[in-house]
Amino acid sequence: MQQNPSMMLAAVLIPMVGCFLLPAFAAISEKARNAFAVVLASAMLASVLSLIPPVWAGAMPRAELALPLGFDLIFKADPLAVFMAAVSALVGLFIVIYSLGYIAHYPNQTEYYVMVLLFLGSMMGLVFSMNLVWMYVFWEITAICSWRLVGFFRKELDVLRADKTFLVTAFGALCMLLGFLTIYADHGTFNLEALRGKPLSGTTVFLILLGIFSKSATLPLSTWLPDAGVAPSPVTALLHAAVLVKIGVYAFARIFCATFGLSPEWSEAVLCVAAASALVSAGAALVENDIKRIIAYSTISQIGFIFLGLAVDNRIGVAGALLYILMHGVAKGGLFLCAGIIEHGAHTKDITKMGGLFRTMPVTAVSFAFCALSVMGIPPFGGFFSKFMVFEGAIAADQPRIAGFFLFGAVLTLVYLMRLFYAVFLGEERGHAEHEGSTSMVLSVASLGALSLLLGLAIFYPASYAGLIIDQINAGLP
Amino acid sequence: MNQLILPILLPVLAGVLCLALGERAKGVKEALSAFVSLVCFAVGWGLLGGDTASFSAPWAGFGFEFALRATPMSAFILLAASGFALLVSVYSWAFMRDKTADLRLYYSYLLITLGFSCGAVLADNLVLLLFFWEGLLVTLYTFIILGGRQAQATALKAFLISGVADLCLLLGVAITGVLAKTMTMSAIRLPVEGLGGVAFVLMMIGATAKAGAMPFHTWIPDAAVDAPLPFMAYLPAAIEKLLGIYLLARISLDLFGLDGSMRVLLMALGAITIVLAVAMALVQTDYKRLLSYHAISQVGYMILGIGTGNPVGIAGGVFHMINHAMYKSCLFMTGGSVEHRAGTTDIAKLGGLFRNMPVTGVCFIVSAAAISGIPPFNGFFSKELVFQGCLDAGFPVFFWAAQLGAVLTLASFLKLGHAVYFGERPADKDGVRESEWPMLIPMIALAALCVLFGFGARLPLSLFIEPALAACQVFPEHALSGWHWGFAFAVSLCAIALAALNHLYGFWRTGRAKDAAEHIHHAPILHQTYELAARRVFDPYDQGLKLIRGTGLALFAADRALDFVTAVLPARAALAASGLLRKANNGLYPYYLAWALLGLVVFALFVGGNP
Repeated sequence: MQQNPSMMLAAVLIPMVGCFLLPAFAAISEKARNAFAVVLASAMLASVLSLIPPVWAGAMPRAELALPLGFDLIFKADPLAVFMAAVSALVGLFIVIYSLGYIAHYPNQTEYYVMVLLFLGSMMGLVFSMNLVWMYVFWEITAICSWRLVGFFRKELDVLRADKTFLVTAFGALCMLLGFLTIYADHGTFNLEALRGKPLSGTTVFLILLGIFSKSATLPLSTWLPDAGVAPSPVTALLHAAVLVKIGVYAFARIFCATFGLSPEWSEAVLCVAAASALVSAGAALVENDIKRIIAYSTISQIGFIFLGLAVDNRIGVAGALLYILMHGVAKGGLFLCAGIIEHGAHTKDITKMGGLFRTMPVTAVSFAFCALSVMGIPPFGGFFSKFMVFEGAIAADQPRIAGFFLFGAVLTLVYLMRLFYAVFLGEERGHAEHEGSTSMVLSVASLGALSLLLGLAIFYPASYAGLIIDQINAGLP
Repeated sequence: MNQLILPILLPVLAGVLCLALGERAKGVKEALSAFVSLVCFAVGWGLLGGDTASFSAPWAGFGFEFALRATPMSAFILLAASGFALLVSVYSWAFMRDKTADLRLYYSYLLITLGFSCGAVLADNLVLLLFFWEGLLVTLYTFIILGGRQAQATALKAFLISGVADLCLLLGVAITGVLAKTMTMSAIRLPVEGLGGVAFVLMMIGATAKAGAMPFHTWIPDAAVDAPLPFMAYLPAAIEKLLGIYLLARISLDLFGLDGSMRVLLMALGAITIVLAVAMALVQTDYKRLLSYHAISQVGYMILGIGTGNPVGIAGGVFHMINHAMYKSCLFMTGGSVEHRAGTTDIAKLGGLFRNMPVTGVCFIVSAAAISGIPPFNGFFSKELVFQGCLDAGFPVFFWAAQLGAVLTLASFLKLGHAVYFGERPADKDGVRESEWPMLIPMIALAALCVLFGFGARLPLSLFIEPALAACQVFPEHALSGWHWGFAFAVSLCAIALAALNHLYGFWRTGRAKDAAEHIHHAPILHQTYELAARRVFDPYDQGLKLIRGTGLALFAADRALDFVTAVLPARAALAASGLLRKANNGLYPYYLAWALLGLVVFALFVGGNP
């Protein structure tokens, strides 16, 4: 069994260090910089993917750097971490490729690529960290990057929205840090491996949940997410769909499912918050007219489904939530990227001013439809399995009423996504001559659409991997 | 390779291949479609007599296995579904040729639909069933949207209605799986109490909605007008009925042990569907729309039959399913034939076409007689069984409702047939010719089956229905086939006479066959009700969308309120606080001195006191 941690360290260090070399490449030429950005993202994905076979075989590469005061830097590639890293790196690569076309006409491109790769690198660091302090550090690096990226266009509104994003998530993160400190006060360590199975006080749970909910845009700390839709589309895909909002979900899985366990009362509370979040934002998605705000509200709603699976904390529910992270990341990332192509072609984000784009953008339209079907949970697309599993998890946890609320949420999902598809692609043709996006953009969305279908057809592999994760996080816990 | 995989994989792969074919490859996709359906038909035939075949492969884990199992019931449905795919492929050869729709897409959807339907009936794992079942949503939608721009709204309607029903089924499957602690259908047997009852009702919604029962039916009449016609003959008339009734039979006979209240619920749903839908059919003025309301109404008989819970009624329900698929498909095909040649399906613009299109006309008469329950055609025998089942179950009210439905069914077909095929022919329809052979052959085949399955119905009952029911542990006490002279028979004959008299009265009053039902349309109370129905007041889709829109607005307001509390208020509070603190920083030295002293006092009080 291969226990060599070099690939894990490579996954963290390649983007985190490499991104600071981007300005040097930019000095040579734009092409060299773009090429290097793609190389970094590909290398990151390759290193993460190379971890899957050994981890599947039971290995857990580990690296440790002893530091005083409980600040030990511990990286460990367990199945859950590798899963999250793989999802983030996969969608991240598509987003970088898409960006080549999308931001080619805007200023500050070098900063953009630096921030995106730093963001991805710190995501890798976050998921592999087994120390709460380092989790917090990487968590805040992603917040700083997202602040810069949301405000990429530098107009007054953009900057204000970026500030809102940063302030809400940083507020949550500070609460969470307080929670971590109470853990240290109670148990004397930040090391998650040493903390396994220990009890948690109510205050700690509350503080950590605030951090998780703010990052994963769950009620009542959710409204920054639609507002951050002013960012460039690949950024919204990165932040709102694939990576940033999944940080909170990951932290929930890592802290409450894999390490401490959640008491029934807190589990019930999380379920109620998740149900409210799923319903309220689905309703808002039905009313909004801005394409990106609709998809952003949809993200908040779907995150509620993920929390449903995690909070019931049984095998099937957690498996559903994990698959949900994968399926939703791919499909929602695809939807945001499609929105970018549409926005470029139609020169507006207002869906009431669009229509009949199917004729001019057939590839984008079909990719959009595939991703939307996956988000709706229609077979044979991947989203079907994750949606079914979280429902079954809710029933298995004896929560039929909560499942009923989520069923209504699923109905709303059908309605708002169909409404969006109709307003954009079907009906009367409005506006001026639109065109497909650039090759790299169309290629990215087509790949994500195809992947949404493929993941459903080849469900055996992701589902068995989810089983592996659950076996590992349950091992040794009562 | 296991023969059970074939009818799933082959059509899907052929469907994908159709997409890849070039525009110029004429005839290839038509031939491919017919050939693949034939292969599936052969597989179904092979499964019919043999022992139960099964197949299992690991799939999504967590008890979700790719498990297939052929019971006599599913083999029979498989046979029927692929038979219809074959006939519709042949029919479309001529019918779709002059349509603007992309034929590659059309045949691809046809084949993928067949593959998924076969998967749904062969599945022995509830999640696998759900996978194929809900997957049909996609092709349902894309099929309808081939009708062009005006079909877009109908496609959306079909998608949302079926999608909501499928989500109900999803939750029902989840509950069933948790209660039974397994997803293997052949191992599940649950009582309908507590959560089990909820599961049954949810799954029943999924099954009956697929079959097109009320209140999930309203997209079908719209699709009849907007979608390509062979779609109607294929999906709402045949495959969806087969699937919906198959699942309803499985859950009511096999998966759950029904109690009295659930049976009454099913029977009431069936009876209401029969009467209301046929009442709507009676006043329609479009050939296809009229047929589509009958496609809804007839489901009522199947649900009613299964709901009786006694072997006679159940056999009648299942038998009616296959009969209905045959004559309704045939009727839609005759409608397509008329549309193909005469260019319209508005019955006001048609008339006297029997002389021009004798084959279509004869097929229409046979299948219309069959659907109206005229002996000796097949529909008569299945309806008799349903009637008898209602009486045996001790619910004469449902018997009379079903008989009322029979009267109105015949009345509406007398009106339709009289108006289209007989009477005066409009001058511009003089040159109408009979349709081509590829369209006639399927119609003739189906009409012939309507005759073959009639005359006592010995063949279908002993060959298909009784083995299928025996597999669900349903054994009738005496012979189902043959003529049963009795009370139900006599009432049925009276119903036929009543419908004929009604038509004659209506025709005599107005002098026009198309208005032969107007005296019912304009009767007091009924007239106002019809007006409201025409304004879609009773359409759950329109009302549901209004409700959802209202809910959306309320939830959006909640979201904005939350934004105010979590973002705007803290910002204002911070501004106000910093405003206050700024005032304290006024640059005057004595103030700062006072602040420092105050700080010292606070320190002394709270910290200095306890060393």
